Formats: sequence, structure tokens, C-alpha cells
Amino acid sequence: MSVKAQTIRSTFSRETSISIDINADVSIIWALLTNAVDHPRWNSTVTFIEGQIALGEKIRLKSTLDAKRIFKLTVKEFVPGKRLVWGDSQGNRVYTMGQNSNGSAKFSMAEKIGGLMFPLYAGMIPPFDQSFEQFANDLKKESETIMNSK
Amino acid sequence: MTVELFNQEFESIKGQLKSFLIRITASVADAEDIVHDTYIKALEKLNTFRGESSLKTWLFTIASNIAKDNLRAQKRWVENVTDIAKEAALSNKQFFEEAMHIRATSPQGQFEIKEHIAFCFTCISKSLPLEQQLCIFLKEVYEFKISEIAIILSGNEAMVKYYLHSGRTKMINVFDGRCALINKEGVCHQCSELNGIFNPKQKMQEEITKIEMAREAENKDKEQLFDLRTTIVRDIDPFQSKAAELQLHHLKHNRQVMEKYLEENSV
Repeated sequence: MSVKAQTIRSTFSRETSISIDINADVSIIWALLTNAVDHPRWNSTVTFIEGQIALGEKIRLKSTLDAKRIFKLTVKEFVPGKRLVWGDSQGNRVYTMGQNSNGSAKFSMAEKIGGLMFPLYAGMIPPFDQSFEQFANDLKKESETIMNSK
Repeated sequence: MTVELFNQEFESIKGQLKSFLIRITASVADAEDIVHDTYIKALEKLNTFRGESSLKTWLFTIASNIAKDNLRAQKRWVENVTDIAKEAALSNKQFFEEAMHIRATSPQGQFEIKEHIAFCFTCISKSLPLEQQLCIFLKEVYEFKISEIAIILSGNEAMVKYYLHSGRTKMINVFDGRCALINKEGVCHQCSELNGIFNPKQKMQEEITKIEMAREAENKDKEQLFDLRTTIVRDIDPFQSKAAELQLHHLKHNRQVMEKYLEENSV
């Protein structure tokens, strides 16, 4: 099932978000999200990641969004099985998740970038939609593969 | 459960427990200490054992907790441990002299390729995060169910599945990239090199074809080859086999080399 990202633009900000149902336990989703060294194995939007994903830690990440740039991000919130936030001065990426009553999980991801200077550099930031969709599908596929393993 | 019955049951499980622990710790002394501590702790808590899990699961839980406490502060090994250990061995005359002495005099001093495959599995597994390593051995070698492993590791089944999946995938990739027995491009030929040293009269190719994993390398997928590899590991008791003393000597060497390497390189 394809899942679509949504982007809301305003003069001083841009916010992209996506939500997906995953037939897996949230602990698997959380483990996949927070185990940095494992990301390149299943997450086709990340080509390099270094550091520990834990509260207050700094991570360095290379994304397919901009292959030449290394994003230096700080983990700002870390609530196991519920919420993870990392970001820099330009914006934050927020991951949230919860178990549905039918045993599946609802996973959401959003990133808002903006500020007074945003109109000056907005044109240089590529759209996130496709990357978000790719990430959500990768996460769903890997989580469900693990959940269904014997 | 009476103490007498517990002692009987402990004796029957002790061998598996010790073999599990040598594979997790890579140290004979640590494995023996943890078996001893497990016995003491289990005996002290015997009145709390309600039989909700099997005694074997309960003992592996206690042993795994002690092992985790011991290993938590230690650095994990690196994937190319066998390359680094080989390099160190080549400049260590004493290592080869001791090994040749064991080969010549010990009833447990034979060199067999299958034994080396099991030894190699232990070494590579130590490059996995500890929980992944524990899950791999508990499931693939000691044949615990996922629900039992969740009890042993005080986690949930989903997490066990995650550790198993990520650990297996990593080991499959390491072996696929390294092991010349399953991949013609593999860079590690240690089995054949050591077989040449310890069994100079043997025809290597004939020996390799006795191993199903090597024979089927081109016909099976990577997952199936990994399962064949774990079957080899499962069938070998690292303390009781005909190659035990030689392999344990080799393991001691690799552990010492790794400790030095990790200290010097701040990995």
C-alpha cells in the first residue's frame, strides 16, 4: 500500500509529515529507529550515520536528500516506544509511534523547517516528500519482516 | 524442587550451560566461574523457582544475567578478528609451538575444519552487540523458543525477533564477504591454511566436500548457508570434542589479541 507525505508551506516555514500503519510491535520500530549502526541496512534514505541515538547525543548523518552534506543533529527528545526528536537550528524531525488496539502500530514522522530567514534559503532545500515516503515504506517493510519472523 | 533433584538436573544441564558461556565470553575461566556462580545463585533462590519456565530456561536466565554484567563493560570484538589474530599469531612463535604440542600430545588436539568453523562463528559473534549475540546462540545453537529467550533476556518477543534478525543479517553479511568456503571471492582461508599446518597429509578439497555448507555453497541462498553453519556449531561441544584443547588454545590467543587490539585502537 503506498503512503503519501503531505507538505504545508507558508512564507516562513515548511512542514512535511507522513503517517503509516505498521503491523508490528512498537518496540521493533523503536529499535530500528534508535540503533544507528543498523540504519543503512534497511533505511534506503540514509547512506551514513554515526553516533549514538540517545538523549542529548550528537549524530552525524548523510541522507540521499543531499549526498554531499553531513547533517549534524542533536537528539532532543527520547521517550522509548513513543517519541524521538532530533534536529539542528533549522528544524526538528519528530518521530512518534503508538500501538493500535488491533496490535498494529501507528507511526508518524514530521519535520518543520523555518524562521525569519527561511524565504532566503527555501529554494535551496529539496522537497522531503519522496524521501519521507521511501523511509516510511522501508520502516514498514523491515518492521513487518522482523515481526513475522519465526 | 528438592536440592537433590536440583543437583541432578543441574548436572545434566551444566555441559550445555558451560558451552554456551564459553561461546559468549570466549574465556574458559569466565565460563567456569559463571557456571559456578549460577549454581550458587540458583541454589540460594531455589525456593522461588515455581516451574513457570523449565529449569533449563531458569538457569540460562541466571547465567545470562551474570554474563551480561561481566561483559557490559567490555568492548565488542571487530568483524575482522581472525585477520588481526592471524597477523599476531604469525609473529608469535610460542603460540605455534604450544599448538603443535597440543596437536601431537592431546587426545583433544585434532584439527578439523568443522571445529574451526564453529570456532570462527564464536569469534565473529563477538562483534555483534551483546543482546544480538545472546539471541543468536540461544535460538540457533541451544534451540530455545523465542518466548523462552524473551524470559531469559527479560525482554519481549518482538525485541528478541529484532535482535535475531539484525544479528543474523550482520553475521550472514560478514561470512558472505569473508568465508572462502561459501564464497569464491571470500578473503579468509584460515580453515585450509590451518588444516595444511596441522594435517599436512590431508587433501584439502576432499575434506571441504565433506562439509555440506561448502558443498552446497552455490546451490543454497545465504540464509540457508547460515543455517547449515549453525548446524555445525550446534553439533560441536567446545569442551568435549576431539579438537577441544586445540580450539580453546586458539580462542584464548584470539581473546588476548583482541583485548590488546581494542585497548590500543580505542575502537
